[in-house]
Amino acid sequence: MKLWKKVAVVGTTLLATVALAACSGGSNSSNTASNKSSADTVKGSVRLWVDTTQVPFYKTIVKNFNKKYPDVKVKLTQSPNGSANAKTDVGKDPAKAADVFEVPNDQLGQLAESGYINPLSPDAEKTVKANNTEVSVTGVTWKDKMYAFPFAEQAQTIYYNKSKLTAEDVKSWDTLTSKGVLATDFSNSYNFYPIMFSAGTELFGKDGETLKGTTANTEQGVNALKWLAAQKNNKGVMQTSNALNQLKSGHAQAIIDGPWDAANLRKILGDNFAVAPYPTVKIGGEEKQMQAFLGIEAFAVNSHTDAKNQKAAAALAEFITNKESQLIVYEESGQIPTDKATQASEKVASDPVAKAVMVMSKPGYSTLMPKMPQMATFWDAATPLINGAYTGSVKESQYTAKLDAFVTRISKAN
Amino acid sequence: MKSYKLQRRLSLTFRYLLLVFLAIIWLVPIVWIILASFSYNDTGFVSTFWPEQFTMQNYIGILNSQQFPFLDWMRNTFIVAVISMVLSTFVTISVAYALSRLRFRFRKPFLQIALVLGMFPGFMSMIALYYILKSFNMLNLGGLVLVYVGGAGLGFYIAKGFFDTIPRSMDEAAIIDGATRWQVFIHIGLPMSRPMIVYTALMAFIGPWIDFIFSGIILSSSGNARTYTIAYGLYNMLHSTKGSSTTYFTQFIAGCVIIAIPITILFVIMQKFYVNGITAGADKG
Amino acid sequence: MFKRKDRKPPKATYREVWSKGGWASKLSFFLMGISSFKNGQWVRGIAYLGIQIAFFGWLISQGISALSMLSNLGAIKTKQVVFDKQEGVYITKLPDNSVTILLFGVLAVLLLVGIIFLYVTNLRATKKLYIDNRDGEHIETNMEQLKSLFDSRLHTTLMTIPIIGILAFTVLPTLYMISMAFTNYDSKHSIGFSWTGFAAFKNVLSGDLAGTFFPVLGWTLIWAICATATTFFFGVLLAMLIESKGIKFKGVWRTIFVIVYAVPQFVSLLLMAQFLDPQGPLNNILLNWGLIAHPINFIGASANPLVARITVIVVNMWIGIPVSMLVSTAIIQNLPQDQIEAARIDGANAFQVFRSITFPQILFVMAPSLIQQFIGNINNFNVIYLLTGGYPMNNNYVGAGDTDLLVTWLYNLVFGQTQRYNASAVLGILIFILSAVFSLIAYRRTNAFKEG
Repeated sequence: MKLWKKVAVVGTTLLATVALAACSGGSNSSNTASNKSSADTVKGSVRLWVDTTQVPFYKTIVKNFNKKYPDVKVKLTQSPNGSANAKTDVGKDPAKAADVFEVPNDQLGQLAESGYINPLSPDAEKTVKANNTEVSVTGVTWKDKMYAFPFAEQAQTIYYNKSKLTAEDVKSWDTLTSKGVLATDFSNSYNFYPIMFSAGTELFGKDGETLKGTTANTEQGVNALKWLAAQKNNKGVMQTSNALNQLKSGHAQAIIDGPWDAANLRKILGDNFAVAPYPTVKIGGEEKQMQAFLGIEAFAVNSHTDAKNQKAAAALAEFITNKESQLIVYEESGQIPTDKATQASEKVASDPVAKAVMVMSKPGYSTLMPKMPQMATFWDAATPLINGAYTGSVKESQYTAKLDAFVTRISKAN
Repeated sequence: MKSYKLQRRLSLTFRYLLLVFLAIIWLVPIVWIILASFSYNDTGFVSTFWPEQFTMQNYIGILNSQQFPFLDWMRNTFIVAVISMVLSTFVTISVAYALSRLRFRFRKPFLQIALVLGMFPGFMSMIALYYILKSFNMLNLGGLVLVYVGGAGLGFYIAKGFFDTIPRSMDEAAIIDGATRWQVFIHIGLPMSRPMIVYTALMAFIGPWIDFIFSGIILSSSGNARTYTIAYGLYNMLHSTKGSSTTYFTQFIAGCVIIAIPITILFVIMQKFYVNGITAGADKG
Repeated sequence: MFKRKDRKPPKATYREVWSKGGWASKLSFFLMGISSFKNGQWVRGIAYLGIQIAFFGWLISQGISALSMLSNLGAIKTKQVVFDKQEGVYITKLPDNSVTILLFGVLAVLLLVGIIFLYVTNLRATKKLYIDNRDGEHIETNMEQLKSLFDSRLHTTLMTIPIIGILAFTVLPTLYMISMAFTNYDSKHSIGFSWTGFAAFKNVLSGDLAGTFFPVLGWTLIWAICATATTFFFGVLLAMLIESKGIKFKGVWRTIFVIVYAVPQFVSLLLMAQFLDPQGPLNNILLNWGLIAHPINFIGASANPLVARITVIVVNMWIGIPVSMLVSTAIIQNLPQDQIEAARIDGANAFQVFRSITFPQILFVMAPSLIQQFIGNINNFNVIYLLTGGYPMNNNYVGAGDTDLLVTWLYNLVFGQTQRYNASAVLGILIFILSAVFSLIAYRRTNAFKEG
């Protein structure tokens, strides 16, 4: 007879009814393609996510887009946690995520497997293939289909103070670290897992898509770990969580960093700013090219986008990664374009940072980040391993066992 | 006699020295945060205690920033905090009063269920909360208020402990004189619990200023920085920007100092109520 | 004192109500609130009947499908990529969204329980009306029922809104979380997932997460004990220092310490992490003073685990001691002085007084809140997440570091690289069991303590 209970239940009932109605209202709208509009006029409304600091110049790009496609309404916002976290941001609720969003290529496999993104249409594939570098096209291809429009390539390079080090000094890791101090962070496996590649191992095979293709648990892998362990006692190598600061304060003369920090580095180093591709390193008694991860930044189209907006979304993604847009992105944020013509343009070709990154993107200098869904596990597993080898918490006697465990863990199919 | 006096004086000096020493240890990091907010720095890392170069630029920068609309965050948080303070206080005090002063069949079970619910870590409810709010189309500041107020019903322990310590005799006398329970609640219960209401209200007010997790879950999908609250906005400022975050680091500290000041003052003011609440609750268990 | 009817209502079984009651009583077994209508209580009658109609309306339109989908969480589990020739784009046919199916299924079950509960109260009301009619008692009028909301049923008025809030924002999410632990909801089944029984539990307790779970559990317990004990003990000492004779400006001293606690934690802890960095201000100061030869890596990714754990506990003292100082101050001020005086006269020194009188008394008063603090520390997300982020890394763990607590690991599993929602739900349940067991033991103990 407690009236309050009744009222409580009435309340929840109403609440629930509304909730259920709201839910069933919008669930199935994304699947069927029943739009009859002709193919040459693109209409729709599309939401676009970019990184917080890039919003201003993407406004310009979107304006250009609207000149060509006046009937597409674009809502440009910043992505919740930045493009590096695209997978988590989209995965949280794909239906609420943007129709077009920026994503690094190592997350593409997982996004595609989960069904969060759509493959490119054959026409778009042709355009992308024709205009962009081969490696960037491979970077966005997963199981023979392209899943995103590439627009920038990222590889770390050496930035150094040229008043302290010469271009000749930074050609080899050993001279570099004997003549100066290099500040870097070994707790970031993005920085130092590629030593494994220099040592001669493969990650998920040559194509980066072979589940059992990781060859880290070999003698070469052990050599790489030995090299890492040796850096702990190298006086010219400084472990730090903030390399920029060490460079600025003069404690270090060189750092490993990516093009995204180039503008800031120019400010810090002033006239002494210099950049070079990675040096060679001596692993297992042989002088080898030190490698980096090559990442391709790309825009992907959300599969939850309404069918009637799919075409507009694809058009937007294609436009904001075309030659002109890539140039704007390069000018505003220093990201190195993937478009062949843009790369060859005078502005880009004369930029030392772009030059260094473009050298790094060549085979032998870098390895394309694999797109396997297992990459999530890879980052989780590789980081403590690399860091452990450096700090010595993983002992030399454990190397083989640890590498075996590492390979087993990332090679699980599920 | 003399030696006793000397001993006391020595002991007092020693205790003062100890206190000063402890106070310095406690305050050094805080002082550093304030100093860092004035330091000129573009590497995203302040490595010295004393700034190499003083500047007001961080404060000017954060207050005028286009990408990080600090003033909008302040306004949003203030609105959320005030609404949630009014509603949450009402909810918490109602529940605490009912559980402490009224007797009804569902009282015991409710207390037990509340205890059990309180032991589940709150994080796991986030995914569900997100979808519940989404189905109402409430992934905005309004939804955030709902979450804060919705949780207030379970935060009754301290207030209930307080009501438990107020003697019942006045209530009983009033009821014998023919007052209804509502009148007792309004005219006796509420006035006597003024310190408790102040405490509850202040706690509810501070909540939105320091919560960066729930606000992040609920507000982030809009992608519109203008709709963020201050805690999530600042947190996001540090975590969502690759590379360029370094340039904003000292601005971030400046923003933190700006909001930490009022909250610290509020908290210092209410420490008395806080103590009363905690000890009253503790007495009764 | 509360106007409860002391006299027990004369008994009547529902069988009697059914066989001897009038048509209205009989009908009330099927349509809620009819007998209220008959007796002029139309407010209550409308409430009952309205709810029933609304419920059946919902049941037919959505409820049945919501409940039936709950059995398999949606039939389509895999996506399909098709090429739409007309538009010239690929379209992905998505699996059924198990997340919303599960959520609304749980909600439907809640509603079902609610309506059953309401039906019982309806029967009870019908019985009471039957008895009142039979025995010629006074039957409440509409006005009386409404007025009672502010008197004998005041709790109804006060608790309604809070309970709705708790149901929607705490009970429903918690039930949803619990059910998630029995599915395969992870990054590989992020849209369409299905029931898998106890597989996720097995995975955490003996599968690939077991090697992380047990060490993290151990550290969580050590952390909770150390954090609670240190802040409590030193808080009491600090309070006594400030309260001791001869110290002036007690309020000012207290305020100095409280400031640290008052600064929002995401500010103080995030910046504390920088303060403690190998190249941060603290190491710089110590180096300049010549106290250390090399920077100490307190909490970084490659710090020594033991150093990091001690640092975390010390930083927690920095934040936690002021609170416990405040609370113990209040207790110290209210302590009976006669015992202490007596002890003093007997020649006990300050330490003895503290050890055998003051401290036990404070402990006695604070015992319940200490238990709550202990449980709070098991779930202390902020200190670990903001200060160390779980660092230093541990290459034997999956997705956790040396200072990670169960609750921060849980967070990493959801929002980190590998989204393992089901495993984190299992962790949530295990944390609940942990807290429940500890508070049960502790409450038992303190009760015994009090009685003895």
